[in-house]
Amino acid sequence: MTANISLPDTVMEWPAKYNEIPKAVFEEPGLWRLELENIFYGEEWHPIVHRAEIPNPGDYKAAFIGEMPIFAVHGDDGKIRVFHNACAHRGATLITDSAGNKPDFECPYHRWLFSSRGDLVGCPNSHEFSPSFAKEKFGLKELRSDAFSELYFVTMSDKTPDLRSYLTDVVADPLGRVLGNGHGLKLLGYQKVTYDCNWKAYVDNDGYHAPLLHLAFKLMGWQGGKGEQIVTRNGHIAFDSELTIPQKIDALQDSSIVQFKGDPDSKGSIVVSTFPITVFTKHMDMLNIRYAFPKGPRGVEVHYAYFARDDDSPELLAHRTRQCSNLLGPSGLISLEDAAIFTRIDLGNRSPGNAIFQKGVTDEYRLEFNVKQNDESGNLPRWEHYRQRMGFRRAAA
Amino acid sequence: MMGIDYKVRDAVEALNLKYIRALDRRDMHGWLATFDNPGTYVCIPKENEDRGLPIAYMLDDSYARLQDRVTQVTKIQPDAVEHYQPRHFTQVVDIRPLGGVNYRVETHFTVNYTPDNTGRTDVLATGTYVDEVVVNGEARFRSRRAVLDTNVVPRYVAYPI
Repeated sequence: MTANISLPDTVMEWPAKYNEIPKAVFEEPGLWRLELENIFYGEEWHPIVHRAEIPNPGDYKAAFIGEMPIFAVHGDDGKIRVFHNACAHRGATLITDSAGNKPDFECPYHRWLFSSRGDLVGCPNSHEFSPSFAKEKFGLKELRSDAFSELYFVTMSDKTPDLRSYLTDVVADPLGRVLGNGHGLKLLGYQKVTYDCNWKAYVDNDGYHAPLLHLAFKLMGWQGGKGEQIVTRNGHIAFDSELTIPQKIDALQDSSIVQFKGDPDSKGSIVVSTFPITVFTKHMDMLNIRYAFPKGPRGVEVHYAYFARDDDSPELLAHRTRQCSNLLGPSGLISLEDAAIFTRIDLGNRSPGNAIFQKGVTDEYRLEFNVKQNDESGNLPRWEHYRQRMGFRRAAA
Repeated sequence: MMGIDYKVRDAVEALNLKYIRALDRRDMHGWLATFDNPGTYVCIPKENEDRGLPIAYMLDDSYARLQDRVTQVTKIQPDAVEHYQPRHFTQVVDIRPLGGVNYRVETHFTVNYTPDNTGRTDVLATGTYVDEVVVNGEARFRSRRAVLDTNVVPRYVAYPI
């Protein structure tokens, strides 16, 4: 499953300059099979569920890894496991909805029954099965999983380093602060949307655009304060920034929607992007995980999951709910413009040539890890990680 | 709906038509005019509604928020958005008296959309409006709650549904 396969170099040669990305990388449909093998089924961790989404025994949530249906279950022993959503017998899916609660999981086809721990506990007429059949060999196929701050990740490869090393110290810190920093979380709900773009266009948002694209920032007089952008060699990016919001915003009748009640874990805005495709944000009082599922070479389904802390007052919980509902997601005051750009950039990239990053680039022939918060060059180490995973040859300088 | 005065039924129907006519003309001030003050608008996926999860796509829980929705659509987002022509179809399926001039109304809806840049028509969302309507001569929404069967919307939603 993890064998690297790649196109001939002539098909997708990478430019010599690190700040140039071939536009064809967004549009060449043949890349998807390689991305599945080399990235989604390769040595990467993919977040699937936070414990707060399935807090009770029997709770389950369906998801995908690449094109494979999977589901996470809160077992009757309190442990969370992730299984392929396929009966161990003939492969019919066991879960047909997005989430729910069941004491056990029965395949309707031949009534094979699996416990919430994935064990096969019933299979009619088993005395007539093949000589090598044994119940203990036919449990649900479990994926390798690991948790960080109660967020469960899976990987298809045995060779993926342990999750904590994979996340790195510099990303684990801001990610931990998004995920409650030791406080339990409570699920507030989801917004789900399909963006009509290649998955890499969805995740290629940068630090340069924020004060320029988002008219809301300008209209409301939001001040961009101090902040930093952290990038890692394995394609993660984190922003940790001050956000100063005026008490009274003239453009709005109700300024309370953009209030930052404040907490010691944030200066206003934290954005973490883990390779290949997940974004985590804590803007003001909104705790948000954006699970994303590419639907092939075109289209990416994004599930914005929103959380409160489980010790929030009812007032804070209500504030988080109205802030999340109105500011982020596919209709959000400050993120709808991002959504518009994903599709515009995707369509525009059908033109020939390279997309050329500028802001923050000091040497086009060297990969720079020291980037400022409003640089777009922070995306380049991620592109380099992508190039290496895909096995594309970089042209000589 | 049996037993509901025909004048009430007419007023509710007229309100629905006024609402969808305003949205389909992208007339946000006309949209706002269908709400009472105080009034609220919520657009929420059915999945959240059924699970008791409060997150919505749009959650305008006061008249001030309704006014800010108008500002967002008309002043803040128009230059970035790929605009589309919405086309709403509604069918009132239930009216129940809540006492006085107030009624609980359920209306099924489907919304098609035709993006300006592609010209191809698709379904944006389908679902049920669950409303509290004040009928005092003319009808207005005290609250309109658009519950979307469409738990995964096919694009970003630029205008209220």
